[in-house]
Amino acid sequence: MKRLGIIFLLLLTITACKDRNGGSRKKMAVIVSTLNNPWFVFLAQTAAAQAESLGYDAKIFDSQNNTALESDNFDNAIASGYNAILFNPTDANGSVANVVKAKKAGVPVFCMDREVNSPNAATSQILSDSYSGCVDLAKYFVQTLHKKGNYVEILGIVADNNTWNRSKGFHSLVDYYPGLKMVAQQSADFDRNKAMEVMESILQAHPDIDAVFCGNDAMASGAYQALVGAGKAEHVKVFGFDGASDVIEAIKDKKISATCMQFPKVMAQTAANYADEYFKGKRDFPRKIQVAAELVTNNNIGDYIAFGKK
Amino acid sequence: MAKKLVKYAVVTIICLLLAYNSVYFKKLSDVNAANKSFNATEYAQNYLDQKLIPSIGKMPSTDTLLNLIKTNPSATFDKFSHAMDIGNIRYFITKGSGIITGLDEADVYITTPAHQNIRIATEYVFGNALRDAPGIININDFTNSGDLNNVSSELNKIIRSKVLPPFKSSVKKGDQIEYAGAFELNRQHLNTDSVEVIPFYLKIKR
Repeated sequence: MKRLGIIFLLLLTITACKDRNGGSRKKMAVIVSTLNNPWFVFLAQTAAAQAESLGYDAKIFDSQNNTALESDNFDNAIASGYNAILFNPTDANGSVANVVKAKKAGVPVFCMDREVNSPNAATSQILSDSYSGCVDLAKYFVQTLHKKGNYVEILGIVADNNTWNRSKGFHSLVDYYPGLKMVAQQSADFDRNKAMEVMESILQAHPDIDAVFCGNDAMASGAYQALVGAGKAEHVKVFGFDGASDVIEAIKDKKISATCMQFPKVMAQTAANYADEYFKGKRDFPRKIQVAAELVTNNNIGDYIAFGKK
Repeated sequence: MAKKLVKYAVVTIICLLLAYNSVYFKKLSDVNAANKSFNATEYAQNYLDQKLIPSIGKMPSTDTLLNLIKTNPSATFDKFSHAMDIGNIRYFITKGSGIITGLDEADVYITTPAHQNIRIATEYVFGNALRDAPGIININDFTNSGDLNNVSSELNKIIRSKVLPPFKSSVKKGDQIEYAGAFELNRQHLNTDSVEVIPFYLKIKR
């Protein structure tokens, strides 16, 4: 009986090894921070579609913005024999341990859009250049407001590097204009409903504002909704970041002033292509590669569609 | 008695081992070198003084670049433009001269020898054009994106505080100027009608 058990265990190990190292069809896990935001749904689905088009099996795991759940997703992906992880982290610091865990198990991780604070944990990180995008956005912000006015900043998830890269890029230019005064800065976790609540509450304390800068488009939509409710949407200019479909429509209708177009398709496809090249033996990947974000206003809206260019 | 001696010897050895492994020595110079944080201001000043200014002579003129972009955009982008990011935003390093045809709070407007109308930024000197256009800085030489962004930030700060004020205070319509700088173009949606050069060198010829 004992011998049979050992033989069974050996067979199981051999099967698992065969699954990861070759022989059968390889698999890519797409672990995404949340599927509660259309932008991340698009990112995850594009990554999975690209993996499948390259001949691999792919499955999407939703971390629901929860690092504990993200950790479970990594455990599941590693135990289920996934050969690579296309990863959109929930927390720049908190997600490092998960990436390291995969690395130790011999599973390469390719980060998409969001960064982990470790230069060597991930095989490669394919990120949006949020800082530079927000410098361009800030220039348009200053020009639109004629260097004068009160404004509000609604931040994303505080533990995410993109939140601060966007905020720092924006302030690197706007702070040179003393006529522009930030009357409130609050986080709404990249969430539309939270942004609406935050904006409603800020408007109680600061009814006299001229503009709102939001760290993503979901929050820009929420803030705009609150401004409509308060009867201030005509006067207050709203700026977002992402290039989500409802904001692209709102820019066309001159309801939202501008956004920065990120290119989730480029990031997702690059991550899947890198994983494919990894399987084929390539190892010298850039540790970090940035994808340019482009300013979208009513002047050039004709060049863009949701999540990308025409 | 012998048993006691062995016991003391073992305890002493354990204590010594623990003490030895609890403390380690490093050269102070090594520690200082490891803890030295990135100095973006110094890096930006060296980059301007040692890389950009000495290579002005080798930079392509704006007239040459715009002519090549109009006739053979793809090859010109491949040969002359750089960017750290993947995507459509590309930067060109350039030099040139021209006669000032107008000024406003954000730019001076010039006509080049080949009758191209371009702008030289005098207000919004921000972004990565000057950092990325020569293509000599490698993203992977920086441990985090914050340091890399600070290079642009500090470089632009030097231009705004040292290069622009003397130029802005004396420039007027009709002046002939020489400049060197960088401009940005979107490769997919090409528009050469409103080229704006972010300068790092400006000289009024009188």
